Amino acid sequence: MYALFYLYRRSFRNRMRTVLKKPITYFYLVILLFYVTAVPYSFRAMFREWHMDSPEGMTAVFTLFSFWIIPGNLIAYARRKGLIYRHSDIHFLFPAPVGPKLILLYAHARNLIMTVLLNLILAVLCIYIFRVDGWRMTLYFLFSLGVENLLEAGIMILMYGSERMDDRSRGLVVKAAYALIGVFVLLGVLAYLRNGLSFDTVLAYLNSDYVQMVPLVGWYIAVLHLLFLGPSPVNVVCSILYFLLVAAVTTASVRMRCTGEYFEDAEKFADDYEEVLASRRQGRADVRLGKKRKLSKASVAYHGRGAAAIFYRQLLEYKKNRFFIFDMNTLVSLGAGIGIAWLYRSEGGFGSFNDFIVPAAMAYLIFIFSAYKGKWGKEMLSPYTFLIPDNPFRKLIFATAMQHIQALVNGVIFVLPPALVMRMPLSTTVLSVLGYVMLSACKLYILTVTEVAVGDVLGNVGKQFFQLLVQGLVILAAVFAAVLGFMLGGINPAYGLMILILAGAVAILVTISTLCFYRMETVK
Amino acid sequence: MLEVIGLSKKYGKFLAVDQVSFQVPDGTVGILLGPNGAGKSTVIKSIAGLLKYKGEIRIQGIGSKELEARRIFAYVPEMPSMYESLTVREHMEFIRRAYNVDTSEEELEALMGRFELLDKQDKLGNELSKGMMQKVSICCALLIKPQVILLDEPMVGLDPAAIKELKQVVLEMKAQGVTVLISTHMLEMVKELWDVTFVMNQGHILGSYTREQVGNEDLEELFFQVTGTGSGPGDPRQGGQ
Repeated sequence: MYALFYLYRRSFRNRMRTVLKKPITYFYLVILLFYVTAVPYSFRAMFREWHMDSPEGMTAVFTLFSFWIIPGNLIAYARRKGLIYRHSDIHFLFPAPVGPKLILLYAHARNLIMTVLLNLILAVLCIYIFRVDGWRMTLYFLFSLGVENLLEAGIMILMYGSERMDDRSRGLVVKAAYALIGVFVLLGVLAYLRNGLSFDTVLAYLNSDYVQMVPLVGWYIAVLHLLFLGPSPVNVVCSILYFLLVAAVTTASVRMRCTGEYFEDAEKFADDYEEVLASRRQGRADVRLGKKRKLSKASVAYHGRGAAAIFYRQLLEYKKNRFFIFDMNTLVSLGAGIGIAWLYRSEGGFGSFNDFIVPAAMAYLIFIFSAYKGKWGKEMLSPYTFLIPDNPFRKLIFATAMQHIQALVNGVIFVLPPALVMRMPLSTTVLSVLGYVMLSACKLYILTVTEVAVGDVLGNVGKQFFQLLVQGLVILAAVFAAVLGFMLGGINPAYGLMILILAGAVAILVTISTLCFYRMETVK
Repeated sequence: MLEVIGLSKKYGKFLAVDQVSFQVPDGTVGILLGPNGAGKSTVIKSIAGLLKYKGEIRIQGIGSKELEARRIFAYVPEMPSMYESLTVREHMEFIRRAYNVDTSEEELEALMGRFELLDKQDKLGNELSKGMMQKVSICCALLIKPQVILLDEPMVGLDPAAIKELKQVVLEMKAQGVTVLISTHMLEMVKELWDVTFVMNQGHILGSYTREQVGNEDLEELFFQVTGTGSGPGDPRQGGQ
């Protein structure tokens, strides 16, 4: 127990020290601060507009979330997939004389500080947005910290640690969890058939007595009703049932024998997790936790020689992918594009910001939101990239060509929805897509220059500083050019000048990258 | 003493290890040999308590899953994995607390000194090379003062000085009555250490041989003969002891 506490304390302290040394942390903190201050205002206005800025509204929102979160956890634990262990845990912790149940609790507790912090922020936000009494929210915070965690830990030990449950029983638990969700859907359909579909009927359904009578999830919702809306016969009875359930689960989990048979499944999950982490470090977004990548058969006809092989090899890899070159960035681009179009329609335009909204959102998406290096990140780690007998310029161009094509596709997907809704002229639409491609290229080559030029000299912290500095300079120059162009003749000259500046930046960055690449090949 | 009795392990329908039994007495160095895919890793992970299996494994007569057995058992895995946010020193401290071992600061420093870790003790886990990680892993295992120790390819990644030191440590443990089981392909490295060798292939123990039985025969030749692989002459031997 003391050893686990030591491990937890020291890991947290050292991690915090490392994180606080990174300048990027402060950059993200500023963004987070912006969200934390901006979101409550917009949420409060939104909930007020929907007539949900009340404890009833908040209970309905919490109810909606618990429909999925509680069964979701149950499913994850029954499949022995909800807890994250690292290879270091398997090396040092699993063989140690530490009770396997404690090791389960340790994995659960690892996220505790973050959960408590988030719950604290949530509690303050809820008081502001939903006008809930402070003492009720404090009580909920304590309930969530103590009782809710106790039940979750108990369920986790019973499901994850059980050595008597075979695969069939685990499958049954998963089915039961889905059945719980099914019950809520069924109750929702019945409410719809009886009362029709409106905002009030949805609210009435979420706050109905029937929902509170469903075991586990409903009983939890009953406690929320008791806490925030006051007692009623149904929520009092169901809350008592909830507390009885907590007592029963806790007792059973304490008494259950657990010798650590779950280690095998935990190790497999750890392997998957480490694979995902490694892929993220390489800049790949296509590997997902618990989902083995299915690669289909594909072939490619190689044209050209030398570095051209890198391009065709990448094309072959993409052809084997289930979604070809489309990835999370594509989805984000589509979401952002549709979001802008929807906002334009619902708000009746953006006033004097109409012309700037697409390029501004574009720059935000590319420079701040997308952190992945793509295939290029992987190429730089591969010794074969350096060993191919060709000149560095061709290697750089062929190794990054596929990412420019991806940027073009994502750019079209991002620009089209707002272009259609805002009735953008064809020339502006094309220039917007070009702008997207140029910004993406800038980001890509800034990462390259950072990696190959100053990576070894400055270390991680320095690399981030350098990256932010160059990105800031490029954006500043592009914005300046865009403003100048706009003043000279409107949006098209603004795009034209911005693209010109970005193209210049790309040319400079490619030249530096090539020179640095040559240096990496010959000197290092 | 380490006892493996009727150990079987299936991955889905694939039987990786079938009714494997062997024992390594106190003060004895056992070597587990076998080609890739023979089932060695499965046996090792089962002994370390990382797999579900059928059969029985005892450490000094205690079931390997009991906490008392784990308290006297040390494991050095093939691929060391450090806690990214713990320093070398903190890894040692964690092990000291987890195993509740009474090790003095002098002993700890002497151990780190033997493996040239004294100047690395404030380095974080993610700042170490593979060889350094292996040294930390070995030191953590030795810190426990185990009665049974399992070393899986312990020499991979170590520099010659550390290999020499590790060999010396193994001989010292043997003299102190510790049971040592080493799984390795680096036969040359263990030729002066071993007392008993278990040769595995396709999930079975093909034979176990003591140093007295084998005499001056080379361990490598013995391996090729028993498994029927490589360039070794003669017919495969079936079972020794």
